[in-house]
Parts: sequence; structure tokens; C-alpha cells
Amino acid sequence: MPMRFATAIAKWLEDRTGLGAALTPILGHTVPRRTASFWYVFGSSTLALFALQVATGVCLALVYVPSADQAYQSLVYLNHGAHLGWFLRAAHFWGSNAMVLVLVVHMLQVFLFGAYKYPRELTWICGVFLLLCTLGMAFTGQVLRWDQDAYWGLGIGASIASRAPGIGPGLVHVLLGGPIIGGRTLSRFFTVHVFLVPALLMALLGLHLWLVLRLGVNEWPMPGRLVDRETYRKRYEEEVQRDGVPFFPLAARKDMIAMAAVVLAVLVCAALFGPHGPRGFPDPTVIDTAPRPDFFFLWLFALFALLPAWTETFILLVGPVVAIGFLVALPFLSGAGEKSWLRRPGSVLAALLILLAIGTLTGLGTTSPWSPLMDGWSATPVPPIYVKGRSALELRGALVLQFKQCRNCHSLGGEGGLRGPALDGVASRLTRDQLIRQVLQGGGNMPAYGKNLSPAEVTALVAFMQTLHPVDEPVARTAAGPLLGPR
Amino acid sequence: MRRGASQRAGSGAFLVLMLGFFVLGCDSLPGRPKESAEEAAQSMDFELLYATHCAGCHGADGNLGPALDLHDPVYLALVPPNRLRAVIEDGVPGTAMTAFAKERGGSLTEPQIEALVQGMLARWSDAQSLRGMALPPYAGPLGDPRRGAEVYATACGSCHGGEGRGGKKGHDIVDSSYLALVSDQALRSVVIAGRTDLGMPDWRGTRGSPLTSQQGSDVVAWLAAHRAPVVGRPIFEKPRG
Ligand code: HEC
Ligand code: HEC
Ligand code: HEC
Repeated sequence: MPMRFATAIAKWLEDRTGLGAALTPILGHTVPRRTASFWYVFGSSTLALFALQVATGVCLALVYVPSADQAYQSLVYLNHGAHLGWFLRAAHFWGSNAMVLVLVVHMLQVFLFGAYKYPRELTWICGVFLLLCTLGMAFTGQVLRWDQDAYWGLGIGASIASRAPGIGPGLVHVLLGGPIIGGRTLSRFFTVHVFLVPALLMALLGLHLWLVLRLGVNEWPMPGRLVDRETYRKRYEEEVQRDGVPFFPLAARKDMIAMAAVVLAVLVCAALFGPHGPRGFPDPTVIDTAPRPDFFFLWLFALFALLPAWTETFILLVGPVVAIGFLVALPFLSGAGEKSWLRRPGSVLAALLILLAIGTLTGLGTTSPWSPLMDGWSATPVPPIYVKGRSALELRGALVLQFKQCRNCHSLGGEGGLRGPALDGVASRLTRDQLIRQVLQGGGNMPAYGKNLSPAEVTALVAFMQTLHPVDEPVARTAAGPLLGPR
Repeated sequence: MRRGASQRAGSGAFLVLMLGFFVLGCDSLPGRPKESAEEAAQSMDFELLYATHCAGCHGADGNLGPALDLHDPVYLALVPPNRLRAVIEDGVPGTAMTAFAKERGGSLTEPQIEALVQGMLARWSDAQSLRGMALPPYAGPLGDPRRGAEVYATACGSCHGGEGRGGKKGHDIVDSSYLALVSDQALRSVVIAGRTDLGMPDWRGTRGSPLTSQQGSDVVAWLAAHRAPVVGRPIFEKPRG
């Protein structure tokens, strides 16, 4: 009886909407037989992860408070107060990591199988923008955690934006909702993360899927079978006619297995490793130094740490434009010809090199020298040789150095962080002017402390650093003449 | 299709199991965050607490650091334990001594702060050495700067120079930037407890004529009178002329 009732409802719905009739041909459309392969599941796996992100994200948004003074607390509540709230956060976090990862694998597969070539150029370009949107989601999501990492990530983002010639300050204003990171910044990022980018993502995704259906799944590339703009479509039709299989269930089964596997993997990771952070309340008055971006940005972070300072602005501003431009132009640069990776050694090599570089940089990013020593400021003593015989002002300078957490990045007497150069002997390398400039303006991966130090603190700090030179080496001086200013 | 059916039944059972697992409140999976990382590793060990939270500024062994030597029997005899507790909890505003209490945004719990206070008193104080001596009070109001100048000339000038701008055995102590970064109590603490690790004597001085509490207040007032209303940024843009 209930069975019959359900069938009746289904029939009624189908009669009024006609959705079933519209969807059946989609599910049943024929695809080349060899594409029913596990090589072709990464796209749908990414889609599954996206669905998981939407589901967990909506649940999180029910509790999350996007205001500067409550965001952190609401995450702490999710972690400890709400039943399984931590699991929700963990699933969203690991889901985002997995989505980026699987999406990159999908792109690599598409690249190596030549699937971006004629006539699927637009599908590829759409995919490039989907990648950008996903990275945008990852970045804005990290900011919503609103902890010290978020603060740091934003600080770096803002300092990159501020280097854009001419429009820099305006760009920072748009990004942060003001000249500094504050409550408005969070509202802005919340809107972008929850409304703007997801809407864009879904629209692009719709277009992407439509294109896949319209142009057909890329056939298995055969070495020697070249893509010719004149004949390709006809040959593809013929192959599907001759040797096609219905997408559902033959190919779809593998997709579904893969989708279940990635989602399960995310849930298991979430259960075993738990949520990420929030790590420490962001206190805008203390420049915190826990620059640990989520792993997909780690390689960028290592790259910036390694780049010589003078190339940085150029690479930061030009690099992304070139990279995106190249990805978009790719299907037009090599839109026809050989598809099989067996006959495209150059492409394979390029992909391998990029992977290797990103992998190596990620490795470097995770190893300690690039990440500061969190308790360096209170746990690493100022070596007594730098205390004895110093003036009261210089001693206060040493205290500022500790308090402002310079030691988290800089070592003295072999103790302290290794992110910046050791400060022993810094006075014989830099003049007083250069020391002041470095502290106030930062640069070369060091935050600018200008707004966070009082004039007296700067004076004391620099006075102390000027005592850091080997006994037999003189203090560096400007050629212009005697040093000026107080003291 | 028999195989398909049993497969479906298998995965269905698996799903139900997984769901039951989470929904029925199996809330003790390894990924569940600990109440707080610090609390998990909560230590009451004085040595560890001191080494991770204080050694950076007060020195590895409580002396020869840039901030006051806490490993000093004279200081520990003078300071009331409640004051120690309060300073660690609330810090000294405007200086590098931050508030360490959890409620004040620091990282130490009430019992940990108590462990620090008791640890310092147990290890570093020495009641015997000061037995029977009249000790100046730890705190006191600011005195009269003019009388302070006289106290300075007799008790301090020999080391810090005639004007306080530095002399044979001590450096400048009236620098406006220094004075902007130090509290009145810290000045008093140095004057009465000294910095024996650096060669600065306590209230008993070097010549056997101890400072009275009033003289201490006066000389601190004299130092404080050198504070500048506005302390300028160091100049660095361009050499003048
Ligand atoms: C986030 C880590 C970090 C923090 C915190 C930090 N620095 Fe740096 N610092 C660096 C890096 C990285 C460099 C190297 C810059 C370059 O390559 O030009 C540097 C360079 C310097 C230099 C120049 C050293 C030389 O030999 O060229 C000085 C001086 C300096 N920092 C002082 C400070 C002071 C003082 C503070 C605290 C107020 C501080 N730093 C905080 C990372 C940091
Ligand atoms: C970042 C450097 C720094 C750290 C870390 C630090 N202190 Fe201090 N401490 C100072 C400074 C600077 C002062 C002097 C403040 C002033 O001007 O009054 C001070 C003052 C004090 C005083 C009061 C001295 C007086 O005048 O009576 C006590 C007690 C003290 N600290 C204990 C501690 C303890 C215990 C810890 C570890 C939990 C600690 N401090 C960690 C910098 C530090
Ligand atoms: C025996 C020599 C000597 C005498 C006498 C002496 N001092 Fe000092 N004082 C020092 C030394 C050494 C230091 C360590 C810093 C330095 O070298 O300037 C010091 C440091 C100080 C400091 C800075 C402490 C800090 O780090 O914040 C003050 C303030 C100070 N003395 C005040 C006085 C006053 C006031 C008197 C007189 C009551 C006095 N001193 C007498 C030798 C002396």
C-alpha cells in the first residue's frame, strides 16, 4: 500500500515536471567504451567533495558568527560545546584540502590526456576558473577561522596587493574593508566565502557540466591519432556509435565508487585528525608570527621565503597573471595534434617539473626553518654576553626585541627562530639608519613594525641591536658622516 | 544480478553502521580536539614554567637577563608575594611585562602562577642573609625630585655620572626613551633591590650608608622628573647639512 502511494506521487511529479524524461537521456548518453575507466573519475570526485563542502558549510554557517569579537568563540564552541561540532569543522577542513588536491589531479589528467584540445577549449577554460574559485574558497575559508594564521595569511595577502603600482592602497581597502584588518574585513570575507564565490562556482560548474555533455567525454587518447579541426567531431561521433556504452550504469558505477571513496576518506581523516585550529585569538596589537597557511598555500609561502627580496615584487605581481594567462591560452596554443601523453614528452616533462617544484617547496614550507618558534619570545633568553655592560636603554631594547616576538624569527647566540637571519653581529652588517628602516618598514618576509612600536620602543630596540657586533669588528656606519638623531 | 543485490546489501549495511557510529554519539574519536592543547600538557613544574614563560626576559637562571633579576634574595625579601602574583597575572601596562593570566589573554592558569610564585620563593629567597635588617618598603609614593637630586649626587653619581647621563661604572639612566619604557615601581625596585648581577647595588649602597625609604622615593621622583612629555621617533631619513 505505501509502495503504491509512493509510486503514485512519483508519477504525478514526473507528469507535472517532466524532469525524469529530461534526465534519462543524460544518464543514458553513450560514451566511448574505454572512458569507463578509473582515469576518468576525478572530475566527479571533485563534484562529490564540492557537495560535501556545501552540506558541511551550510551546517557551519548555522553556528558561525561572522563578527570580529565572536567568530573565534563560535569556533571554540563548535569544537567543544556542540555535539559533533568538531567533526563538522574537521570534515569541512579536510574536505577543502581534498577538493583542492583532487581538482589538481583532475586537471593533470585532463592535461595529460589532451582533453583540453579542440573542441573542448571552453571546458578547460571554465575549469581554470573553477580552480581559481576553489583556491579562492580555500583562502577565504582560512580567513574565516579568524585566528592568528588567518591574520597572518591576510597580512601577506594585503602586502602583496599593496605592491600593485598605483592601485595598491585602493586594492588593500577593497580587500580588507579599510586600511587595516578589522571587523569589516571579516564581514567582507564571510560574504565572499558564503555567497559570492559559491554562486560563481555553481554557475561555472553548470556551464562546465553542460559542455561535457554537449561535447562528449574525451575519448581515450591513442598515440598517432591526431586531432584535426576538420574531421575530429565526425570521427568522435563514429567511434561513439560504433563502440559506445551508456554512461549509466557502466561508467557511472566507477564514478560512484570513486565519489564514495573520496568522501569516506575525508570523513576518516576528519575523525582521526580532527579539525584545524582555531589557533590562538588574533590580537591585532601583537604582531603574531605563526605563518602557517593551509597546505595548498605552503609552497607559495616557501617560495616567498626563498626569493631574493628584489625579485619579489615583480614575481608576486607578474607571476599570477602569467600563470593564469598561460592556462587560459593553453588550448589555443596547442589545440590540435597529438593527444596521447606517450607522444608528448615535452608536456609530460613540464607537468612533472611543476609538480616536483610544488612538492619540493611544500616540503620546504613544512620544515621548521620557515616557521617561527612560537614561544621564542618568552623561552629563549637573551645571552648574558649581550646583557652585561649594556645601558638601561639598551636593556629595554632587548626587552622590546623579546616582547615583540622578534626572537620567534631571529636567533641570538644560536637560540631562537631561523626564519630571519641571526641577529648576532647585525650591527656590523647594517647601519643605524638601515636598522631603523628594517624595523619600521619590514620587507623581505619580515612584517613592518612601524605601527606597532612606539617611538621610544624603536629607539631602544635599535640601540640594543647596535651593540650586536663582534668585539673586533666595528659598527657599520653610513659614509655620509656622523650618525644623527638622539643618542 | 545476484551479485549486485548482495553488493548493495553489503554497502547498505556499511552505511548504516557508519551513520550509527557518528549519530549515536561516538564522540570520542581520536580527532576530537582536546579541551585545550596547553591544558593537556598542563604542567605545574616550576623549572619548566619558568623556562618557557619567563627565561626570555628575566634570564635563564633568573639573572643576567635584560629585565630585573628575580633570582635575588634581596628582591624576594622585599616584594610581597601578593605583588608577585598580581604582576604575573596582570603584567605592567606599557612595558614588556605582559599579563600572563588566562583571563587577561595570557597562557598561564591560576595554579600555574601560584606554582611560579612559590617556586621562586622556595628556590631563590634566603631569609637568613637578611635576618634582623630593617628593610625599606617595597612600594612607596613618589618623593620630592629636588631632594632626590641631592640623594642622587651622593649615592649614585659616582657610577652614573654627575647628571645621570652615564659615568665610570654605570650608563645613562635619564634617557627619555628609557624612562618611557619603565614604570615608577620598576625604578624603585632597582633602587632598593639593585641589580647585583650587573653591578648595581641595592639600597645599602656601596659605601655603607643605606638609603632610607624617603631617600629612595626622592631619587625615583628625580628620575621620573626626567620623563619627556613626548618622545620623538629616531631620525633617519636624511643627514642634515
Ligand atoms: C615573521 C618573522 C620575522 C619577525 C617576527 C621579525 N623578523 Fe626581522 N627579518 C625576518 C626576515 C625573513 C628577514 C630577512 C629580510 C630580507 O631578506 O631582507 C629579517 C631581517 C631583519 C633584519 C636585517 C638583518 C640582516 O642581517 O640583514 C633586522 C635588523 C631585523 N629583521 C630585525 C627584526 C626585529 C627588531 C624584529 C622585531 C621587532 C623582527 N626582525 C621581527 C623575519 C622576521
Ligand atoms: C617579554 C619580556 C618579559 C617576560 C617574558 C617576563 N617578564 Fe617579568 N618583567 C619584564 C619587564 C620589562 C618588567 C619591568 C616592568 C616595569 O617597568 O615595571 C618585568 C617585571 C616583572 C616583575 C616585577 C618586578 C618589580 O618591579 O617588582 C616580576 C615579579 C616579574 N616580571 C616576573 C615575571 C615572571 C614570573 C615571568 C614569567 C611568567 C615574567 N616576568 C616574564 C619583562 C618580562
Ligand atoms: C656601583 C655603581 C652603581 C651605583 C652606586 C648605582 N648604580 Fe645604578 N646601575 C649600575 C649598573 C652597573 C647598572 C646596570 C646598567 C648600566 O650599566 O647602566 C645600573 C643600572 C641602573 C638602572 C637601570 C636599571 C634597568 O635596567 O632598568 C637604574 C634606574 C639605576 N641604576 C639607578 C641608580 C640609582 C638611582 C642609584 C643611586 C641610588 C644607582 N643606580 C647607583 C651601577 C650603579
